[in-house]
Amino acid sequence: MNPEFQRNLWLELTPRRMFLMALVLALIFFAAALTDGMVSGPGEAARWLYYLIVVVWGTRNAARAVVGEIRDRTWDGQRLSSLGAGTMTWGKLFGSTVFNWFGGAICLAVILADLFGKHGVGVALIEFVYYVSIGVIAQAAALLVSLVAAGRRQAHSQFEVFLYQAAGLGAAIAVYLVWATADPAGSILARTAPTDFTVWWGLTLDARAFLLLSLAIFTAWTLVGCVRQMRLELKMRNGPFVWLGFLIFIGIYVAGFDAWLSGNRDLAHLDAVARRLLLGDTTFAVIAYLMVFLEPKDRVHYRWLGSAFAKFDLRSALGGLQGWMTSYLFALALGTALLVRLASEPQDQATVGAMLGFFSRDVAIVVLANMMSRRKSGDFAAVAILFSLYVLLPAIVKGLNYETALVVFFPRASDPVWLSPLLAWSEAVLAAVLAFGSLALPEERAKTQAASGTP
Amino acid sequence: MIEVRDLVYEYPSVRALKGVSLHIRPQTITALVGPNGAGKTTFLRCLAALEPPYSGTVTIDGLDTRDAPRAIHSRLGYLPDFYGLYDALNVRRVLTYAARSRGIAAAMVAGAVEKAAGRVALMDRLEAKAGELSRGLRQRLAIAQVIVHEPRVLLLDEPAAGLDPQARRDLSTLLVTLKDGGMTLVVSSHILAELEDYCSEMIIIEAGLIVGGQAIKVRDVERPRYMLEIATARSDLREFLAGRAGVDVIEADQHHALITHTKNAAARARLIRDLLASGFEVSSFGESTKALEDAYFKQVGQGA
Repeated sequence: MNPEFQRNLWLELTPRRMFLMALVLALIFFAAALTDGMVSGPGEAARWLYYLIVVVWGTRNAARAVVGEIRDRTWDGQRLSSLGAGTMTWGKLFGSTVFNWFGGAICLAVILADLFGKHGVGVALIEFVYYVSIGVIAQAAALLVSLVAAGRRQAHSQFEVFLYQAAGLGAAIAVYLVWATADPAGSILARTAPTDFTVWWGLTLDARAFLLLSLAIFTAWTLVGCVRQMRLELKMRNGPFVWLGFLIFIGIYVAGFDAWLSGNRDLAHLDAVARRLLLGDTTFAVIAYLMVFLEPKDRVHYRWLGSAFAKFDLRSALGGLQGWMTSYLFALALGTALLVRLASEPQDQATVGAMLGFFSRDVAIVVLANMMSRRKSGDFAAVAILFSLYVLLPAIVKGLNYETALVVFFPRASDPVWLSPLLAWSEAVLAAVLAFGSLALPEERAKTQAASGTP
Repeated sequence: MIEVRDLVYEYPSVRALKGVSLHIRPQTITALVGPNGAGKTTFLRCLAALEPPYSGTVTIDGLDTRDAPRAIHSRLGYLPDFYGLYDALNVRRVLTYAARSRGIAAAMVAGAVEKAAGRVALMDRLEAKAGELSRGLRQRLAIAQVIVHEPRVLLLDEPAAGLDPQARRDLSTLLVTLKDGGMTLVVSSHILAELEDYCSEMIIIEAGLIVGGQAIKVRDVERPRYMLEIATARSDLREFLAGRAGVDVIEADQHHALITHTKNAAARARLIRDLLASGFEVSSFGESTKALEDAYFKQVGQGA
């Protein structure tokens, strides 16, 4: 048996705890069957309890799986173990939540019995996949975010654990809301009318099958994310191909929903290709923003990466690219394709060009703020700078009635039309030069000091 | 066994190691000493391939910590200064998990657990919960965890902290046994006295640099240091000792001499007999127990 899972079994699944869980659940179901209170029968009680035990409590335990080890000072020992990243990941993910799954399995049995009686075996099976997936995806999301935080060496306080749990809960809520649109059991909790069809890449697809498959694929990607993050914790290197595969998948997946934009008045004049490029580009930009804040901005790593590129060691260099870097490049590439597609629309071209410029500037500012910060507050500094650039300074400029100057702060129609993208890219270049400079200068200073013997 | 070249390590606000280079020979016990905050723990974590160097290289058993960290992990045991134990598990399960997670085959685990527990004298506590052990016993369990897979390199950060005198002596004996069994050990501490019993070489780290630039040989197991004292002053003491086969005089005056000499008991007896026969009134002759301390203050004094 997986040693990590075995250890968790020893800690979590004691006969006493199992007996108590089974007893409490049995009493609740019995009470729900006898009374006509907040819930109508054991089936609905089981659904609420499943969400409580597997999703709410389970995400808490998953978020603590690694953070707890760090806090208890046992994580270094585990990182030095011979366990592979996959073994460690599933040992932690399902080991830390094994007690929740024990309670969840009891609830699931009651849910399935209820559904089987009301809707038949087909619906019961579909709901089984949904319930298991929402539990796994929520717990895996919490573990994934906690692992990212561990890489940033910030995984310590209870509040931070709550944030990682919240990420898992957020994933569960997203899954729940999307599923509610096509729930074959009639959207029991959301009480919304189910949708029968989804339009994707111009194809009309059965909504249940599409969402079920989407759920399975996103669950798999979340688990892959956990394993890759665990590999980094275990000091293994990740190749670039899995992340590239994810970007390609998510770009294609999101771009397929272009029909949603056809009803938008501002975008109605765009053709399907431009709409898809816009959706894909926006997706990559959102991922780049998310990743540049989440990933550690480690001067040592950047220096090593620069040296790998300088030596044309492309295998190492590509393997060392962080998620935000490739997402940024993808956003830039798709944005360029969109600019070409919008050749006949100069104003749209200028807006997209300015958006790409400000996006590049923002990414450079986050890196710059982290390079300049001598403590771990670089991301907070970056947020403060971006808040000033997007909210405070524009408010002041607007208050002084210099509205034409707002073009300095965000994409905006300008006269001449190229002024907005020009300003945006000028700011981007300036921020990038400062970021590279702040990365390179301390090294040069250290070399000079070493050469002169200065301590 | 361990080769470090121009190792630089940076925290966001400070450069903790500023170009450390050294070589540690196999099957030795090296003391890593220095004041608090000197960079000892950072250095050990770099050796353990847990922290990537800013620049420079660390190779262990021919493997670079950046290129093959997992292969290095499988070859070493590392006990941090602040470690944790699974308090809710008993000693047997703690060690079983350590053994299994370190890749020991299921059929061999029970034997490995008992051997590790026996080495740290915890055989009678196998069923006790880790959380119920005293501080000294927890320290022993932590050491057992990191040696259960018989690593080739053992890195210990302040291993004797919290141990009583008897447990410290047992630890010394254990470390020497492990070294004799083929392990290479690096032991960090800022208490020189506890390192005296088992370390043969010393690295002094101060402000991120190695004082003196290299490891200092402080103790030769085959040729220990002896302190000789005579009751009546003799100006020819140094000359007499220098003329004896197998004796190297480190320092001497009219009453005392610090020498290195073979550990062979018969040879020592012969030397004492010769001294007495030549009229030296030997009042004391014994192994010097302050080699490490002497070397430390000599180096630090030079550095200052």
